[in-house]
Amino acid sequence: MKILMKEDFKAFVNALIGDPSLDTVGVKAKGQKFVFDSLDSADELRLDYDVTILPPKKYFLPQYETIVEFDMSQPFSAKRPEYPRKRVIIGVHPYDIAAIRQMDSYFLDTDITEAYLRRRKNTLIIGSDVITVSPTAFFGDMKTGEVKSGYDLFITDLGDRVSFEVGTEEGERLLRHAANLKDSTPVDLQKRKAKRNSANGKAMRGLMAKPNVWHDLLEKNFESIVWKNQSDKCLACGTCTLVCPTCFCYDINDEINLTLKSGERVRTWDGCLLRQFTVISTGEVFREDIVDRYRHRFHRKGRYLPDRLGFVACVGCGRCSSQCVPDIADPVKMMNMLFESSEHVIAEDGDRDAHSVSIDAKNFDLEGTISLHMPKPATIIRAEKVTEKEMFFEIEMDDHKPLGHQPGQFVEVSLFGSGEAPISVSSPPGGNTFELVVRKAGDLTNKLHLMKAGDKVGIRGPFGKGFDAEALKKKNLLFIAGGLGIVPMRSLFNHVLNNRPDYGEVTVLYGCKEPCEMLFKDEVAAWGQRKDITHLLTVDKCPDGECWEGDIGVVGKLIPKVKFDPKHTIVILVGPPVFYKFVIRDLKKLEVPDENIIVSLERRMKCGVGKCGHCQMSGVYVCKDGPVFNYKEIKDNKEAFK
Amino acid sequence: MKPRVAFFDFASCEGCQLSVANLEESLVDVLKLIDIVAFREVMKEHSDQYDIAIVEGSITRPMDEERLKKIRANANILIALGACAHLGGVQRMANQWTPEENKKEVYGIANPADIADSNRFFEKPRQKALDEVVKVDYTIPGCPINKEEFAKVLIALLTGRKPPIPDYPVCVECKKKENVCMFTIGKFCMGPLARAGCGAPCPTAGNECEACRGYVDHPHEKAQTDVLEKYGLTVDDIMRRKTMFTYRYVEKPKDGA
Repeated sequence: MKILMKEDFKAFVNALIGDPSLDTVGVKAKGQKFVFDSLDSADELRLDYDVTILPPKKYFLPQYETIVEFDMSQPFSAKRPEYPRKRVIIGVHPYDIAAIRQMDSYFLDTDITEAYLRRRKNTLIIGSDVITVSPTAFFGDMKTGEVKSGYDLFITDLGDRVSFEVGTEEGERLLRHAANLKDSTPVDLQKRKAKRNSANGKAMRGLMAKPNVWHDLLEKNFESIVWKNQSDKCLACGTCTLVCPTCFCYDINDEINLTLKSGERVRTWDGCLLRQFTVISTGEVFREDIVDRYRHRFHRKGRYLPDRLGFVACVGCGRCSSQCVPDIADPVKMMNMLFESSEHVIAEDGDRDAHSVSIDAKNFDLEGTISLHMPKPATIIRAEKVTEKEMFFEIEMDDHKPLGHQPGQFVEVSLFGSGEAPISVSSPPGGNTFELVVRKAGDLTNKLHLMKAGDKVGIRGPFGKGFDAEALKKKNLLFIAGGLGIVPMRSLFNHVLNNRPDYGEVTVLYGCKEPCEMLFKDEVAAWGQRKDITHLLTVDKCPDGECWEGDIGVVGKLIPKVKFDPKHTIVILVGPPVFYKFVIRDLKKLEVPDENIIVSLERRMKCGVGKCGHCQMSGVYVCKDGPVFNYKEIKDNKEAFK
Repeated sequence: MKPRVAFFDFASCEGCQLSVANLEESLVDVLKLIDIVAFREVMKEHSDQYDIAIVEGSITRPMDEERLKKIRANANILIALGACAHLGGVQRMANQWTPEENKKEVYGIANPADIADSNRFFEKPRQKALDEVVKVDYTIPGCPINKEEFAKVLIALLTGRKPPIPDYPVCVECKKKENVCMFTIGKFCMGPLARAGCGAPCPTAGNECEACRGYVDHPHEKAQTDVLEKYGLTVDDIMRRKTMFTYRYVEKPKDGA
């Protein structure tokens, strides 16, 4: 450990500020609160701060960040923005360092977020011990008052002097700006220990439920009345998520400049407490009630992220509770309330805590990382209007390579200026082109409906887990499609027809609202010519003047009309959200085993790679873990068929 | 051909049109995109041939309703500009009393005949938002409007997209700006109910939000009332706060007619 006397420390900070290669930020006062902001002088730096309004996540995942710059006067022109110069952040408390390490695990997991990695690699962290403890902080309870890594330098304000601990070589190089650096004495070490112990002690707020029991506590109390009681007071303002150092959800929107010729795709902070977070273009809201949103936040922290990435996603900074106006966001109060009302024995989950991270940003190299949000150019080969609301597209990637999708996967279709939308691939695997059927439902799909052969679109994907066509071989298959569900289902169904000898009996039931809404009419007509498949069609109603030879009624009514062996048939269901509850009930009456039912679900899928948070269904990311699920695996998911 | 745009105003301060005029250098870009055929803040020419009508102000009397209906009939797209057009403005607070009570308070009773309903300028004054009289295609909320948002709405319309008016509360933008929460300094803020899109300029400048942009689509009003009570406000205080710009949401018809 090294020591700088206060005056020398100030000179060090001023030298950093004066270094033109660095953007030096630190903690400053804002009214009676504190913020991380650019420093003009060492005198502004407040190492005695308790907590900042926003955590330093804003430097790695900014509130507004341009991720693509596009030129709409060209058929397809997009580039990545320039990134700012190297930054050093002075005064990051240990709990925030723990949160940044969690963020590393989140954004550098299987799909590496290039923009995040670039900022992360470009930022030096000077950690700092907590001198003043915020009244709502509980990092003592969460054991995040001390960190062993995650910083380049670590300092402690010891009154007349500041101690330095070196974390990385790059941090050590920063010390070239320090004059009169001397070795510490045992007294300095003792003083630092006393400061730490004091802060950690003050940041104990009597959390009865230790982090390693949160998972079980939340799981067992999902239906507890506590959620409703608390959320009745919730304003759903989103503050708790916005100020949280471990909330990472984001939205993406296109902004067009006044010239109407260029624009930017912008990533902005979003939050699961906000109603529009789960709204999809057709209007469904997947977490309409505030209680569901309120509960989701706690469950994500204590259950869903621990399941996915290992750590408990709370570091005890206390920002949520200090900034929640109705005072219902405090994890200590919530967890204690659940703990006290819990009649069950709560199981411990090893030594899992906020530090349980397995990823180190140091081990990642920017070289070769791709930009997650950069679409690839593709060309529309064929565009045909198939119903009043739907249009069919055949698309080829401009690199002339096959999309390489499995049946049931989706792509993010992108039009610069209108954004992106998740669209199911409707064609079977193989071939150099792929097919989409797009319903007019929002800005982007309205625009797509105006496009023609030769026009360019952007494509990201394919994404998600599709149907496992291999595993279905030799099985009897019953396909049930409701409405637009035929679109993703067709990718599997046509694959099965193309490889008919590989599969057992094949039956298809297809229902839509009215005859005019039926998709793939030619193909449906061709089903009737085949002796190796059985098919039945239905419409909810047939208005006067339309011609219809099939059944009338919901698609579930067709189930008793076909012969199939419930125990030895795989049922593949794809339809709108309301469809599943009813059809699954009909199937269960026939005692079809859960594991023989396969579903494809719809949610708001924005990023496609399990980062933006919108499609989350309890702990499951529909975009990544689905959209195709085996019913047995998903049926106990409380948010799946709500 | 560039779309023809006309500005109109009813009961208002015209501050929202002034905000448009204050786009300044951006206005040059805007004028490359549209033809402004009527805009009395900046020009004296006027034409009744327009595609888009941008209307500021609240609707007060039958004669105003007639005029608005004519504008609606002439326009393909009608946009309500600002809090008066969107909600009825602060003047809507007058609807707490009957037209007769208001006239008596404002004009006295010296010559009742002069201000009787038979005088069409004084006929049954009642504040209404535009959408209570005609179909409104889009609304740009705020008192005054946010000029950047005005530009965004225009861009959206010209590029065939839905105008991006947010449906989340001002708290979201306020937090992103890292403001000290008004509640923590003892001020009573409508931010948790109010529709964002303004960029939270009032809390950023140290003043509480008064919800001039109206509420989000699904405000949790009960929780806000509880919070304000918790912070020491009485129901009367709360109602007063809620009637400033947002009387529309709590108004009980009192026409006195």
